[in-house]
Amino acid sequence: MAQPIITVRQLSKTYRVPERDAGLLASIKSLARRTYNDVQAVRDINFSLEAGEIVGFIGPNGAGKTTTLKMLCGLLHPTSGEAEVAGYIPWQRSGVYLRRISMVMGNKSQMMWDIPPLDTFRVLGEIYHVPAAEFKQTLDELVELLDMGELLTRPVRNLSLGERMKCEMVAALIHRPSVLFLDEPTLGLDVSTQRRLRRFVADYNRRRGATVILTSHYMADVVELCPRVILIHQGSLLYDGALSGLVERLAPFKLIRLTLNQEQAPTIDGHLPPNVEVLERENGRLVLRAGRAETPAITSRLLDTLPVVDLVVEDPPIEAVIDQIYQEAKV
Amino acid sequence: MRYHLKLIGLFIRASAQQELAYRANFLISLLHSLLNFGTGLLGLLVLFEQVEAIRGWDFASTLAVLGVYLTVGAVRDLFIGPSLDALTGINGDIWAGRLDFTLMRPVDIQFWSSFRQWRLLAVFDLALGAGVLAKAIFELGAAVTASHLITFLILLGSGMITFYAVQLAFTGLMFWNPGMLFSWVFNGIFQMARYPVRLYPGGLRLALTWIVPVGVITTLPAQALTGDVPALTLVGSLFLAAALFTGASLLFRTGLRRYASASS
Repeated sequence: MAQPIITVRQLSKTYRVPERDAGLLASIKSLARRTYNDVQAVRDINFSLEAGEIVGFIGPNGAGKTTTLKMLCGLLHPTSGEAEVAGYIPWQRSGVYLRRISMVMGNKSQMMWDIPPLDTFRVLGEIYHVPAAEFKQTLDELVELLDMGELLTRPVRNLSLGERMKCEMVAALIHRPSVLFLDEPTLGLDVSTQRRLRRFVADYNRRRGATVILTSHYMADVVELCPRVILIHQGSLLYDGALSGLVERLAPFKLIRLTLNQEQAPTIDGHLPPNVEVLERENGRLVLRAGRAETPAITSRLLDTLPVVDLVVEDPPIEAVIDQIYQEAKV
Repeated sequence: MRYHLKLIGLFIRASAQQELAYRANFLISLLHSLLNFGTGLLGLLVLFEQVEAIRGWDFASTLAVLGVYLTVGAVRDLFIGPSLDALTGINGDIWAGRLDFTLMRPVDIQFWSSFRQWRLLAVFDLALGAGVLAKAIFELGAAVTASHLITFLILLGSGMITFYAVQLAFTGLMFWNPGMLFSWVFNGIFQMARYPVRLYPGGLRLALTWIVPVGVITTLPAQALTGDVPALTLVGSLFLAAALFTGASLLFRTGLRRYASASS
């Protein structure tokens, strides 16, 4: 088995956060005497990644995803625990390590605002010691993949959010990092730009064999890109495995969508099996919920006993499953 | 070294492009420079219209202090100020969490934070400062020898390092309290450095020499032009510059470790 490129052991991070009550008096009091509260953002998490994997890092707001990513990038020192990325301890921030990684943040920009993106890329190329020929080749490749040739010479402040995010991607990849951290890269983007960026990340991963950790609140990003997900909630790791496994484990049921002959529909009640739950019912259309194991038998009985015009069996929507996890915080 | 010089060249180029994007700034900057220069010079002319010398300082040597003040201020406005100011304040890199990107660069963070933003219009201030200095040296005449000039240049250099170190230290304090604009306090005090420290009353004079060392930054180099700096003071000021630089770098780097990044 190949050596993992990212190894995380018992990693924890506690922030010391100043606390004070609302109001002017409390603000004045806090000048003289500050009180602090310890907030544990990440608790003893463990995982490892093989080179070339794309892994979705999911969890509700404040779960500890970004804190974990920032520790892996070397931006934050952990309170305890160990991590190794590409053979380096991230928070030692050695030059060689920093040349091997990159991060894209959906809510922060590394572009120079008043000048065209090409100038930012050139500065970054020099900072990362990218030879001129390699710089040109990488830039051409990225520009072609993102279809953004016409953006290179326009000031960044005149670009749309989607166009800027394409520039952020190029800025992050100009030095060909082998590990890429994407922190909500599709935040606020329209559906087609999101799709384009997802395709780009998949292409980049295939071409360069880069390892990618992605956090996103858009499940479409995770479903399309990440065969494996790591679920984190209140700082603890709740699940690490295939996305489909998460759905099966958390939602051990299927949805059956039925369309019945309108005239006979009102008489169905007596014919429904006892182990199904009616979720929706409107004009002869029904949505039923049934246990995974019983679904084949139930479908067969429904087809035998009811005037079925159409029947579809499907998994519950991933958003509903994730919402359920976030609400209940258990897997 | 070559790598760092090349980066400085790129930073200057990018900053020039950014400045040229806002044409109105050019005129306002020009006006600001002329006002700064004019008020300083006017103050001296009014003062020395009445008296020959104040506490041993005549017009020419006081003009030299103003020249050093304008030159040091111009160097600050050229790159130290714009670069360090980009870190501090509301919407500064520390507050907004953009320092994340800086910390991920394979370059020395102190180098990056001190040189990455240039305000090239400050070259005009630099020319004014050099002009005032040249005029002061001309007025001082034969009193300025070659060895005085060398001592002056050494003290000007160490004064600039002291000045940079204080600015860096105040910026470093931002990691403990991102909302406080510590460097504003220092810039206010630095205004007093346009006159020789000996012009101020006893307690204030001592404070301006040893506590907030603006006297070391402007008065000492001007004194050197007339050979008025004892060897011990020269060595002491070099030692102060080295100690402050080391201390400020340490404080800045310790502060960096406290940087918690802004939340997502």
